[in-house]
Amino acid sequence: MGKRDKRDKEERKAKKAKREEIEYEEEDTQDVNVKDGVPESATRHAEELEQAAEDEFGAKDFRKSLELKPDHASRPLFIGPNGHIFLESFSPVYKHAHDFLIAISEPVCRPEHIHEYKLTPYSLYAAVSVGLQTTDIIEYLRRLCKTSLPDGIIEFIKLCTLSYGKVKLVLKHNRYYVESQYPEVLQKLLKDPVIQDCRKRDEMDEAGDDQFIAGEVSGTTGENGEPVPDDIHDFYTKIDNEEEDEDEAQLKTVSFEVKQENIETIQKRCIELEYPLLAEYDFRNDTINPDINMDLKPSTVLRPYQEKSLRKMFGNGRARSGVIVLPCGAGKTLVGVTAACTVRKRCLALATSGVAVEQWRSQFKMWSTIDDNLICRFTSDAKDKPMGCSVCISTYSMLAHSTKRSWEAEKMMEWLQSQEWGIMLLDEVQTIPAKMFRRVLTIVNAHCKLGLTATLVREDDKIADLNFLIGPKLYEANWMELQNNGFIAKVQCAEVWCPMTPEFYREYLQMKSMKKLLLYAMNPNKFQACQFLIRYHERRNDKIIVFADNVFALKHYAITLNKPYLYGPTSQGERLQILQNFQHNPKVNTIFVSKVADTSFDLPEANVLIQISAHGGSRRQEAQRLGRILRAKKGAVAEEYNAFFYSLVSQDTMEMQYSLKRQRFLVNQGYSYKVITKLAGMDEEENICYRSKEDQVGLLQKVLAATDTDAEEEGVPGASGSGMVRRTGNMSSMSGADDALYMEYKKKSGNAHPLFKRFRR
Amino acid sequence: MAAAFTPRKLDCKDLHSYLKTLPSPVLDRLYNHPATCLAVFRELPDLGRQYVMRTLFVEQPVSQAVIGQWVNNKFINDHRYACKALTELRVWYEQPIPGGQPGWVLNQTFRNNTRVALLGGGKPWIGGRSTTVDKYAKDILFLDKYAQERWECVLHFMVGSSEGIEGVSRDIIEVLNNSGLMRVDATDPNPTITPAGFQFLLMDTASQVWYFMLQYLETVEHRGMDLVECLSFLFQLSFSTLGQDYTTDGMSESQLKFLQHLREFGLVYQRKRKSQRYYPTCLAINLASGLSNVSTGQEKTGFIIVETNYRVYAYTDSPLKIALLAIFCDMLYRFPTMVVCNLSRTSVREALIRGITAEQILNFLRSHAHPKMLADTPVLPPTITDQVRLWELERDRLKFNDGVLYSQFNSQADYELLSDYAKDLGVLVWENATKRVMVVTKSGHDDVKKFWKRQKNS
Repeated sequence: MGKRDKRDKEERKAKKAKREEIEYEEEDTQDVNVKDGVPESATRHAEELEQAAEDEFGAKDFRKSLELKPDHASRPLFIGPNGHIFLESFSPVYKHAHDFLIAISEPVCRPEHIHEYKLTPYSLYAAVSVGLQTTDIIEYLRRLCKTSLPDGIIEFIKLCTLSYGKVKLVLKHNRYYVESQYPEVLQKLLKDPVIQDCRKRDEMDEAGDDQFIAGEVSGTTGENGEPVPDDIHDFYTKIDNEEEDEDEAQLKTVSFEVKQENIETIQKRCIELEYPLLAEYDFRNDTINPDINMDLKPSTVLRPYQEKSLRKMFGNGRARSGVIVLPCGAGKTLVGVTAACTVRKRCLALATSGVAVEQWRSQFKMWSTIDDNLICRFTSDAKDKPMGCSVCISTYSMLAHSTKRSWEAEKMMEWLQSQEWGIMLLDEVQTIPAKMFRRVLTIVNAHCKLGLTATLVREDDKIADLNFLIGPKLYEANWMELQNNGFIAKVQCAEVWCPMTPEFYREYLQMKSMKKLLLYAMNPNKFQACQFLIRYHERRNDKIIVFADNVFALKHYAITLNKPYLYGPTSQGERLQILQNFQHNPKVNTIFVSKVADTSFDLPEANVLIQISAHGGSRRQEAQRLGRILRAKKGAVAEEYNAFFYSLVSQDTMEMQYSLKRQRFLVNQGYSYKVITKLAGMDEEENICYRSKEDQVGLLQKVLAATDTDAEEEGVPGASGSGMVRRTGNMSSMSGADDALYMEYKKKSGNAHPLFKRFRR
Repeated sequence: MAAAFTPRKLDCKDLHSYLKTLPSPVLDRLYNHPATCLAVFRELPDLGRQYVMRTLFVEQPVSQAVIGQWVNNKFINDHRYACKALTELRVWYEQPIPGGQPGWVLNQTFRNNTRVALLGGGKPWIGGRSTTVDKYAKDILFLDKYAQERWECVLHFMVGSSEGIEGVSRDIIEVLNNSGLMRVDATDPNPTITPAGFQFLLMDTASQVWYFMLQYLETVEHRGMDLVECLSFLFQLSFSTLGQDYTTDGMSESQLKFLQHLREFGLVYQRKRKSQRYYPTCLAINLASGLSNVSTGQEKTGFIIVETNYRVYAYTDSPLKIALLAIFCDMLYRFPTMVVCNLSRTSVREALIRGITAEQILNFLRSHAHPKMLADTPVLPPTITDQVRLWELERDRLKFNDGVLYSQFNSQADYELLSDYAKDLGVLVWENATKRVMVVTKSGHDDVKKFWKRQKNS
């Protein structure tokens, strides 16, 4: 890259920053544009730093910039100048390197032998917030790496970490303070006009802007002058201990108070100034909020990875806000409950649906000693008496509801807002639209927020928002490791290729509308495969869930096969009834569900999942669905696989591309999909539907007769709490005139008189 | 039509099938040297060796019935196979025994020279070891390295990477062109690699050398050299000792020329062209010994890791190996001692289009698998093997049936008449009533045509 290019780039960057400032001033009134809230250094990618030449095969050639160490064989890492890290899982120091990399970088893919990670500003931010120091990170990477560290990477780490973790946002006595150990940093922040506005000043010290509230706080010592030992192992244990070290050294801190209504503004502004605010909660020294009598039951045993994730959260004796990523079925709820029991303050848990709220409640009762009447549910169906409760469970949509509420709900909301919550548990945090999320977070005051999720991916890449709305990612588990240790089920994933029948394929090629989707979902070969798989697994006494996003297909499949089905409009009572039957009734072994069951439907019995139709190329949905059968099964060690995930795909249609994309997340976690082109034994099976040409043609007619709205997928599952689904439609479909066709013939403009033409203009 | 999609698989003959192709006078002359006899004897099927041993000292023909009785009936197939092999190689031939019944007698030259080979005696082979001590004596390590370098030079040249340009002589290029591994285009002075060449590259070194030598031997006669002399020299080489120097004394003109060529390929080491001594390398010694079983154990430890997410990691610095991987992988990053690449549908399809088969790709990955991969069974993740095969299969999903098109019917009645007739015969492939066209299978064409002519005449 030439010098001029560089300068150009800098100029552009400066311009961009300016633009952001301008936009920022308008921001309070209008909807917040999310991308602009990202810190300047975070928009920088490590990729921009590298300038590696390409070799003759088109690969990026890092050989010139990296120097191989003589003892490279015993070191486990390769680090590219673009921030990609490759870790050998067969290295003797794998365990240490793995734990360290989880802390400082994002896992990209983790199959069996070689794992790939990526350094991102957010991951480094997370590393700093759990107590790692810039020098430690660089030093340790240097030791692990087979080659010399690329200079760009050292710079990148410094850039991203030096300014992070210096300022904290603290909630004391229901008032917010910005606190720091570095007075000069606060000085700098206060020079900023926006932050000045946000500062809450008592009338008394109007004169002295620079006066901070001095305080003392216990914390870890940052400096550590002792010489670093040579061995990688020693060094890691040092880092590891350091964060748990409760060195009661007294550090001077300074702080200033912030107006509560401007919390988000100041958070955003600080990120832009590259001093992101860390939210930490010193719950042990909080005497204002009453302690709650809540402990884990003695019988409750935490698994090692659950413990590890919590250690990251409570590392220095305070509670950090952040996100913990565990696969579905690996006991996220227990982590949440344990966190609540550790903090022992008032707790607010938010879930995605009414069913999930019930499940949270039962989990609280199962794992902890909390009294039943201290738990209160706040959903549209169940509004327990809130007063004096200490654990409140609700849904996101309930809190974010912006239109008129009932008087009772109104009172409840007032109460919720008046409370100072110790901890807020946010379940399935990745599903929530950022806007709704923001509302929830600004309505309720919580000292510390813990997000729980299985899949930190979104197709719209809005996942970065979580980093500053909640906090950094504290921990992410390795799926394959949990599977090998038997904590989650061993799943055989299979993609079943169903050829389109000629009739269906002809229509598919000619069709232009949404009905294409319906055609490949209703492909008779797919139907047969589905029916065969259900029969096969019912004979093995398996419990089967069949997923279909498309309601038309869902109903048709379920009714033809005479199985219960469950979708958006199904009432809460009926849902629970179906689910209970599925769990306990030996005659109900198969249920058909739409995407409402994607998240938080806890069905521990299910071990076979068949997917008929899905939501485009959503990686998250695929992982969520897999999660439905991940809960560890009894007798897990006996068989090679104890759960089965079938994805039925119509060959030669869009579905093939979608499914390739959908699988990417799981494949990166180390899962492998077996492609089945022919189901053995299907031809011998009796009584399979749609065998004959006539039946197939009949089915085709039915599909062609369906309307476009039938072909659409169901609405958003998050909205199911309100019991109302908004969908776009045109006037004719609302008035039931879908089938009637009126054509409007426009006269060719060429026939019009030139004069008219001019008038029109 | 369908044949066009399945590329010709590179046919690598073993010693047996190569010798089979030679005319019998040449074979007879070949057996004039004990070394060739021993080499051929080694490669015979087990039973065949047994028969030769039993009849080695029996000067007259032995009844076929007698030989048949040596074997239990259960192994009659093995017996037949052995007899066939012996006959094809002219180790023995048919001759009636005095009673008139069919019998077999060993080829006399073969008999004599095998006796020499097994019992000793006769002249020393290949001019014998040199009597003086070499001032520039080379050890085995050096020879291995030299041989590998020379051979990789050839392969580099084939891949077209810059490192192979110098050091490849005209003779080598000629062999490559003649064998169809490379091709000269009118536009480009440098030859380009062919599908067969790609397949060649994915073979292991021993098979490559053997294949290359076979191709070379076919051109030997054009160069005015004697095939039999070259072959017998080659066989003698294969019985020499690694690390030992041999003298060129007593070698014929044609053999000396052959030696120079072998030097170019890296099969022997000679310090100078005029030098009186040479060292055979491992390439030459392994040549005749491990032919029938293509997979040789001498391949160094593998370096490739294939992951379930289609990543391929190769622990190597060798540009040749990387170039080979680049044939069917997308290269991503290159670290010192390691490259990261990706198997994708497009990259594999590109390789398939160049005529490489899925099996060859998988075989390459398997045979070079990293020790960590070898711990698992199967070595490669099944998803990867399945997927690569599926990518190959999806290239020929169309089935082609030859047929004859009937069109331009004068009336609907004519059309229906003929199409009904074809339908009854079961030879109708496709029809379109609105356009009045139909396709009939090739085998049914005659019948339909006759029927139509009869209809028109009547």
